[in-house]
Amino acid sequence: MQLSWKDIPSVPTSNDMLDIVLNRTQRKTPTVIRPGFKITRIRAFYMRKVRFTADGFAEKFSDVISGFPNINDCHPFHRDLMDTLYEKNHYKVSLAAVSRAKTLIEQVSRDYVRLLKFGQSLYQCKQLKRAALGRMATIVKKLKDPFVYLEQVRQHLGRMPSIDPNTRTLLICGYPNVGKSSFLKCITKADVEVQPYAFTTKSLYVGHFDYKYLRFQAIDTPGILDRPTEEMNNIEMQSIYAIAHLRSCVLYFMDLSEQCGFSIEAQVKLFHSIKPLFANKSVMVVMNKTDILRPEDLSEEKQELLKTISAVSGVEVMSASCVEEDNVMQVRNQACEKLLTARIEQKLKGTARVNNVLNKIHVAKPQSRDDVRRDAFIPDAVKNMKKYDAEDPNRRQLARDYEAENGGAGVFNINLKDKYLLEDDDWKNDVMPEVLDGKNVYDFLDEDIAAKLQALEEEEERLEKEGFYDSDDDDEDVDLDAIENGEDLEDIRDKAAWIRDKQKKMINESRYRKALKNRAVMPRDQVKKSFESMEEHMYSLGHDTSALKRNKSVSAGKELSGVDILKRNQGLASSSKTRVNKKKAPVSQTDRLNDGLNDGALRSQAERLAKIQRRERNRMARQGEGDRHSTAMLPKHLFSGKRGIGSNDRR
Amino acid sequence: MPQNEYIEQHIKQHGKRLDHEERQRKKQAREGHRVAKDAQNLTGWRAKQFNKKRYAEKVAMKKKIKAHQESKLNGPSTPKQDDGEALPTYLLDRQTNNTAKAISSSIKQKRLEKADKFSVPIPKVRGVSEEEMFKVIKTGKKNHKSWKRMITKHTFVGEGFTRRPVKMERIIRPAALRQKKANVTHPELGVTVFLPILGVKKNPQSPMYTQLGVLTKGTIIEVNVSELGLVTAGGKVVWGKYAQITNEPDRDGCVNAVLLV
Repeated sequence: MQLSWKDIPSVPTSNDMLDIVLNRTQRKTPTVIRPGFKITRIRAFYMRKVRFTADGFAEKFSDVISGFPNINDCHPFHRDLMDTLYEKNHYKVSLAAVSRAKTLIEQVSRDYVRLLKFGQSLYQCKQLKRAALGRMATIVKKLKDPFVYLEQVRQHLGRMPSIDPNTRTLLICGYPNVGKSSFLKCITKADVEVQPYAFTTKSLYVGHFDYKYLRFQAIDTPGILDRPTEEMNNIEMQSIYAIAHLRSCVLYFMDLSEQCGFSIEAQVKLFHSIKPLFANKSVMVVMNKTDILRPEDLSEEKQELLKTISAVSGVEVMSASCVEEDNVMQVRNQACEKLLTARIEQKLKGTARVNNVLNKIHVAKPQSRDDVRRDAFIPDAVKNMKKYDAEDPNRRQLARDYEAENGGAGVFNINLKDKYLLEDDDWKNDVMPEVLDGKNVYDFLDEDIAAKLQALEEEEERLEKEGFYDSDDDDEDVDLDAIENGEDLEDIRDKAAWIRDKQKKMINESRYRKALKNRAVMPRDQVKKSFESMEEHMYSLGHDTSALKRNKSVSAGKELSGVDILKRNQGLASSSKTRVNKKKAPVSQTDRLNDGLNDGALRSQAERLAKIQRRERNRMARQGEGDRHSTAMLPKHLFSGKRGIGSNDRR
Repeated sequence: MPQNEYIEQHIKQHGKRLDHEERQRKKQAREGHRVAKDAQNLTGWRAKQFNKKRYAEKVAMKKKIKAHQESKLNGPSTPKQDDGEALPTYLLDRQTNNTAKAISSSIKQKRLEKADKFSVPIPKVRGVSEEEMFKVIKTGKKNHKSWKRMITKHTFVGEGFTRRPVKMERIIRPAALRQKKANVTHPELGVTVFLPILGVKKNPQSPMYTQLGVLTKGTIIEVNVSELGLVTAGGKVVWGKYAQITNEPDRDGCVNAVLLV
């Protein structure tokens, strides 16, 4: 919950608000418009201005509304305090006026934007904008008084001390001029004005101090006069609300010397009249100004009056002097103690808190499954052991005793390896390296290592005997021998040099081929290579070219006769087995020229008929199917006429 | 931490600067110089604001001075007493009209009265062309028909009006430009009330506009004055009364009218 309202944004006066928003509109919207522009542009220009101004106002108003606290959401103490200080209804009405102005301005903006949509000329649009802004300005000007009031409230709220209603609080109250402020000044560092006249303190003041490492706040209240609450003024009501709403220890201050101008009777009477407010609170009565008059020196009847106060249950009476700072700290400490115990009591009293904890706890109570007793096992040796007693001279010797005997801690170090349980006691103090040659010794620790090693060695021996490692490739041995011989060494070197040379040549060649260098490139299938060059190439690659040579000699020997050429041109298979490279038709494709004709006679008849058919057409120079023909780009019948169904490309 | 009236408290405890009063006085004295400087140097929006404020101040001051001087001139005015002396003839002639003049003036008066019956606060209006009044709306699938019109001025549309079918509706009165109420001023009482319009009596531009209920400057409208509580000579409450529109509604977005009494 918010306790202080120090950062409410400031509320400008209505005139300032107008200036701020209109100035902003002028700065942040475009300013140049000409009658020659498109009417839509002109309308948009002015609509933007109207909307922008309305948004500016709405933003400012919502800042104001959200900045101020909702008086109903506050703690009851703050609510009542604000009510007395600022008059709750006035406060609410002011904020409501701002909120209503916001909706009104939004409405105006909406209306005029709608009218601007029908604007016909620049002048008309401008006039409409002017009217809209004027109406907004009128609405804002009507907020003059609420703004002034809210600004004052803001300043006052900001200067109000932040009082936490739930923390540990000492509340100082009493008649005016009895020394409340001087007490606060004594126990805290608060800068409170202390003056020798009534109602120096006109509002609540807060100071803080520490007691038992706990933070306490002490609140100084204005003085109260003994009269009905209806007649009390705002100053007194503040203290009444503080007493009523704050969970605190109330310190009721009294002035026995009557220097404050109020008699002891009046002070006692006030105590009794505000007593109902002290319910559920710890109360202390402090007799102030003991430097002037001590309570013991009072007359009998006044002592009697004071007794009526102390007779009230739960009230403790103490005396102090703020001027001499006598007994002040004791009063404070006593009040704090009282408050702390009261708070703890209150906490315990509330069953909700206890139940909250209880609900979270479950104590499991296991049930016995049978009657068998299952006691804890304690070895006999332990049971029979004598109980260790440091005083006993015959007590057990501990390692500590041993250490003390040998010179104490720092001089003698006990041997931790002493109690090791090993097979051989001699091993106890052996040095056991944990890491050897950068390896963890334990990783390599194997009990059967010797046996494993022996098994491996035996296997190796066996394999060797069986000839597992003997090489099974005798030829290699021969080659190796040959190399070793050194006779062919020269030859091999030559070959290697040749290979390197060839490789280099190939690389250069391919590089040359790849480098385009702005040359026209012959397509690969157009490049012609002579038979010789191919043969040579094959030979150079190491292929056997004897078969190629044979073929060439055969083909070169046989010349094509004229008949062969003619027949080839006609597409008829020649009788002789020519080696002419002809394209083979696919199997499925039929020879339509000769299809369905059994012999040459039929064939010639068919040709004759076709010729007769063509003759007339050729004579008339008509178009035939062999003629080149281009179809129309947009055939008329497909692209014109009524279409009741579908679109053009669906027909 | 400071709380409550800490500023006043500080002043109370420590006082003001020793030269506080002096500084205040000097600042006050320099105020005129500052204003003069501002008047010369300010530009733009701030200059506008400054000049407006200064103008208002000057007007207020001049009025005050004038009022003061007049009160001085008149002084404690004493009523002139008729001392019983005879007036010169040329002054006598002024006082008493001769009969001819009396007759002519009475005729004029009668004519005026007759005319007064039909006189209105705004006797002349600016003509509004059809182009200005109607906006052509293109219709048809290809937007090539232009028989439809939209009224660009504010209109009054009676209650219970329903638009005709789209194909029949030649003239559109846009819903956004319809007005139901007018700010009516009573010229004698000097009050302005927001009254509902009952109908358009006469639009001076054209009888067609009257029929369509177009509201332009000078249009006579009938308003519901039952709120005003006017009473006829017979003691009946007046319900409807005529008023003349005094502004261009399409410029202000509202209708202002003056009651014809």
